Amino acid sequence: MSTATVPHTATQTKVVQARNVSKVFKRDAFEVKALDEVSLEIAAGEFLALMGPSGSGKTTLLNMIAAIDRPTSGDLLVLGENIFRFSDGQSARWRNEHIGYVFQTFNLIPVLTAFENVELPLLLTKLSAQQRRDHVMTALKLVGLEDRVNHLPKQLSGGQEQRVAIARAIVSDPTLLLADEPTGDLDSHSATEVLDILKRLNEDSHKTVVMVTHDPHAASYAHVTRHLEKGMLLPPA
Amino acid sequence: MTLTRFMSKNAFRNKRRTTLTVLSIAFSLLLLTLMMTIWRAFYLTEGSAESAQRLITRHKVSLVFFLPYSYREKIRSLPGVTHVVNQTWFGGQYKDAKPENFFAQFGTDPEELFEVYPEFKIPPDQLRAWQHDRAGCVVDADLAKQHGWKIGDRLFIKGTIFPVNLELTIRGMYTAPQPTQSLYFNNTYIDEGYPQIKGLVGFYGVLADSPQDVPKVAREIDEEFRNAPRPTKTESEHAFQLSWIATLGNVKAFILSICLAVVFATLLVSANTMAMSIRERTREVAVLKTLGFTKAKILGLFVGESVTVALVGGLLGTLAAAGLIAAVARSPQTGLFLNGMRVTVPTMLVAVVVAAVVGLVSSFVPAYHASRQNIVEGLRHIG
Repeated sequence: MSTATVPHTATQTKVVQARNVSKVFKRDAFEVKALDEVSLEIAAGEFLALMGPSGSGKTTLLNMIAAIDRPTSGDLLVLGENIFRFSDGQSARWRNEHIGYVFQTFNLIPVLTAFENVELPLLLTKLSAQQRRDHVMTALKLVGLEDRVNHLPKQLSGGQEQRVAIARAIVSDPTLLLADEPTGDLDSHSATEVLDILKRLNEDSHKTVVMVTHDPHAASYAHVTRHLEKGMLLPPA
Repeated sequence: MTLTRFMSKNAFRNKRRTTLTVLSIAFSLLLLTLMMTIWRAFYLTEGSAESAQRLITRHKVSLVFFLPYSYREKIRSLPGVTHVVNQTWFGGQYKDAKPENFFAQFGTDPEELFEVYPEFKIPPDQLRAWQHDRAGCVVDADLAKQHGWKIGDRLFIKGTIFPVNLELTIRGMYTAPQPTQSLYFNNTYIDEGYPQIKGLVGFYGVLADSPQDVPKVAREIDEEFRNAPRPTKTESEHAFQLSWIATLGNVKAFILSICLAVVFATLLVSANTMAMSIRERTREVAVLKTLGFTKAKILGLFVGESVTVALVGGLLGTLAAAGLIAAVARSPQTGLFLNGMRVTVPTMLVAVVVAAVVGLVSSFVPAYHASRQNIVEGLRHIG
């Protein structure tokens, strides 16, 4: 179900502007069209849910917004930048500064504690150790894990791991938070906790959130839901 | 946390594998350090200042042929020669054939031995006692300590080259900058015990006026006996030692081939470990790149990880080699071969640098591929 409720924090600033974006994957002699002429605009402060069946191109579109994949054709401006003109190094630095990415499978580094996992993106900045500590503790407090700083991922539950992953995604205070099926590996209780955090980050911290999900319950947390099918973005309901 | 800390945590994330890798590198570096130490002792150590001034004159064909005793005075009369002493390798057996009972025995002239070897120190009264006892001997103080000998003790040495047994009384103990593991007795004992070689000696130790005179003196001695029935070959003491080592075979090639094999094996072990470790973390690399790590940072992390493991192994190996050589060199069971040998700081540094280079080279290719890995492909990786 799509909702067209205008987010209370939304402004007219467009964070993402995609025009006729297509992506074709080539596998030997076969070509698979993952995205087909997708045009989409996401306003600042919006909480958008991208839904669709497996293979519909949701993650591909999310990866393009994060500048970790490139379109075969079309234009894509993110935060006003044509990110595909960046070199690999520029893309990496841009992501570190502007994008927070939450994976379905958490993807925490197993040898690092919760604190160190969250601190990881800050190691690429010029912040002092004390500043990094402050940022990490703030992020962990936001997700309610300030008492788990020294726990390794294997000592945390799935829900807690995902909350650490969200803390890692927001620790550098990015403009855009991208979540690829963040509740896909969680039980319903943990999923609700994670969705509450994303909603709070959107409403209180004014983060623009783009979430890929299969789950209509998860999508109900978003202001706007868009559907992809066979690489095509369906018109808003 | 810092990136260095992150790197070191990754280096030791699989403790069993890292421990085995560190141990294999350590063992290889132990061998390498041992080989480099032997190489240094054989070919790079110049010896004492006195040694640089000393020459050895032997039969031109081989050490096994004797030289006439009459050569001694002819050599002494040559310009630039200060002292000459005859020496004959006795090669006898003390107690039994066990290695711990092996030491060198030389028949010599008690009147001039310590003139040619001024770095050997002996109390004057002990030297006089030896000079007055034709059945007396002097021994290296370290050797005496190993065997628990005292002045006045009697030693029985069974002849294996010459059909004569020695019954010697210890009259003195000398010290030398490097342990010599040697016993010296009066050559007259051989002359009288085995008259067939009376008037013949094994070789001559010659002390020149100065190190600069050594080449000239060597030429003049050999020129003096060029047309004699027993021509000579004279060389510096260091060169003589090298030619002695050369009798063991092509030692240089042997040591070099072991060193190369060790480095190559270490390289393979390290490369295999790093390739496995990096392949297992394909997905993690993609995550790091998503978080903003650049290619250079990823490359640096993996290469640093490998160099850290190699350095730990290298340090352990060289320290173990230093300890091992120190222990072996002091052991009573040690023969002349390793006596006085030690691992120097430059040798250890070279070994550690070799370890670091091995770590760097072995990880570069897999790390480079990881740094260039496509993020999307990496995130899809299962394993």
